[in-house]
Amino acid sequence: MGMSSNPPYPAGTVIIGKWRGNRYVVERLLGRGANGTVYLVQREGRRERYALKIGYDTLDLQSEINVLTTLQSRRKRNEHRARQESPLSSYLLEADDFADGNNVPFYVMRYVEGRPLHLFLSRNGSSWLGLVGLKLLDKLRGLHECGFVFGDLKPENVMVSDYGEAELIDFGGASPLGRSVKQFTEWHDRGFWNAGSRTGDENYDLFAFAVLCLRLLNEEGLKTAALQLPQMRSTDELLKLARKLPDKKLSSWLSLALKGGFSGSAEALELWENHIYKTRKREPESMATPRWLKNAFALSLFLLAFTIYWVIRF
Amino acid sequence: MKQILLITDGCSNVGESPVMAAAHALQEGITVNVVGVVDYGTIGELGSREIADIAKAGGGISRIVGTPQLAQTMQMMTRKTVVQTIQQAVNKEVKKILGEGSLEALPPLQRSQVVTVVDELTETSPLRIALLIDASASMKPKLGAVEDAIRDLALSLEAREGSSEIAVFHFPGRSSGEEAMLDMDWTRDLSGIRSLFSRMRMRGATPTGPAIFKVLEHYRYDTLDKHRDRHPAQDHDEREGMIGGYVV
Repeated sequence: MGMSSNPPYPAGTVIIGKWRGNRYVVERLLGRGANGTVYLVQREGRRERYALKIGYDTLDLQSEINVLTTLQSRRKRNEHRARQESPLSSYLLEADDFADGNNVPFYVMRYVEGRPLHLFLSRNGSSWLGLVGLKLLDKLRGLHECGFVFGDLKPENVMVSDYGEAELIDFGGASPLGRSVKQFTEWHDRGFWNAGSRTGDENYDLFAFAVLCLRLLNEEGLKTAALQLPQMRSTDELLKLARKLPDKKLSSWLSLALKGGFSGSAEALELWENHIYKTRKREPESMATPRWLKNAFALSLFLLAFTIYWVIRF
Repeated sequence: MKQILLITDGCSNVGESPVMAAAHALQEGITVNVVGVVDYGTIGELGSREIADIAKAGGGISRIVGTPQLAQTMQMMTRKTVVQTIQQAVNKEVKKILGEGSLEALPPLQRSQVVTVVDELTETSPLRIALLIDASASMKPKLGAVEDAIRDLALSLEAREGSSEIAVFHFPGRSSGEEAMLDMDWTRDLSGIRSLFSRMRMRGATPTGPAIFKVLEHYRYDTLDKHRDRHPAQDHDEREGMIGGYVV
């Protein structure tokens, strides 16, 4: 505690590990999570860039590292069985203490290039939600298979590459299935909406995912619902928002998630894939008619009118 | 594990010093956390110093927040304090075994094992929290938010694997002789919390110190009354065993 107010390390700072001796050069600040500050770094003498998280509190950060370590080993075991998993096993590279920086703990992970989900969608359009949602649900399913819930699921914790690859970042809120959720964000929390417990189960993450979708598609509506008196907050309020969405298949998927109606994330993923991702519809109103065609049409109308005038007159 | 969570908005003005009362609590193995609730204006230098001092004397944490952040703050403080209490106990064991100082000094592998134990105990140790609510007149507009925050805290506690119990007191009591009044005795059931404050009468004085003493008495009385409080001793042994197993 207390270290959170520290000014960020300037670019060029060399972070040397106390136990393993590896050296990382700070390039820039990437962001701040609940447990620490994340920097983009380059391992000295190498080209690859990594994300390095410096913890505010040794215990909190170590707890997060433990989750990542367990996750990694379980994932490797799973990969052994099913070969085609994405190469996520290299998520955590190493953990160490910053020798010169008062022995603050840090860990190094793969750098996920992209932008947070909400910024990605506002830039590229919400038509990407079908694909990105699919990828994100797949990540959640993988996590659940390894026996963990993500907990603090929100757009800020999802990185999306330029081509719609989604990746979860910040595992500070992850906890084993069946345990209490450690970190959460009000709007996305099932307990906040009087919609169920804070015990981490697959449906907890799916609920947060559904709120995430509502927030991406109708942030104002969600805000209004969230600012009501606490005793008025309920699943019904969220269901109302879901029903208002123009895409009816998405509405019913979200309703099911909000009510905790899926047997688990595997089923949720399957339904999303079949009913939302695959039923991409052409949007006639957004298929903009080229300007030249409009002009040509206007010209032909004018010619017609002129011709009729001509014929009648003479 | 035992905690007192004091929710107040100003200075005590009657009876023994609340800082001394908190020091007594710590001596009896009860950690005291304090939330100062401000909405309009500030709590004043004197008030905020007292809040910080009570928490310091009681081995806990203090925060001054507005009602919108109340729920999250209470949840965070409670969790943090549980972790700290366990960490202190575990650190002691680590010191015994390795002769080494703190968690920070341990090499990565051992540290990871110790933290695994701390996380495990944080989730599973039995926990009791006595909420002590300042019901002096100035708190009246904030009680709705306090009630919601308590409900929210109960929700978080319910999700733990270990047993968690809450008792609720407010002060001052009904008559001038009564420092604090018990609104709800130890319970795991949060449905009773809803109507808790409707019966509450607001009065002027703020006898924070005597109220803390009253809660201590309640803890003590309970220890005599039920044998379930032999648990902490057992827990301790277990804990020692676990650490031994993990670290060596």
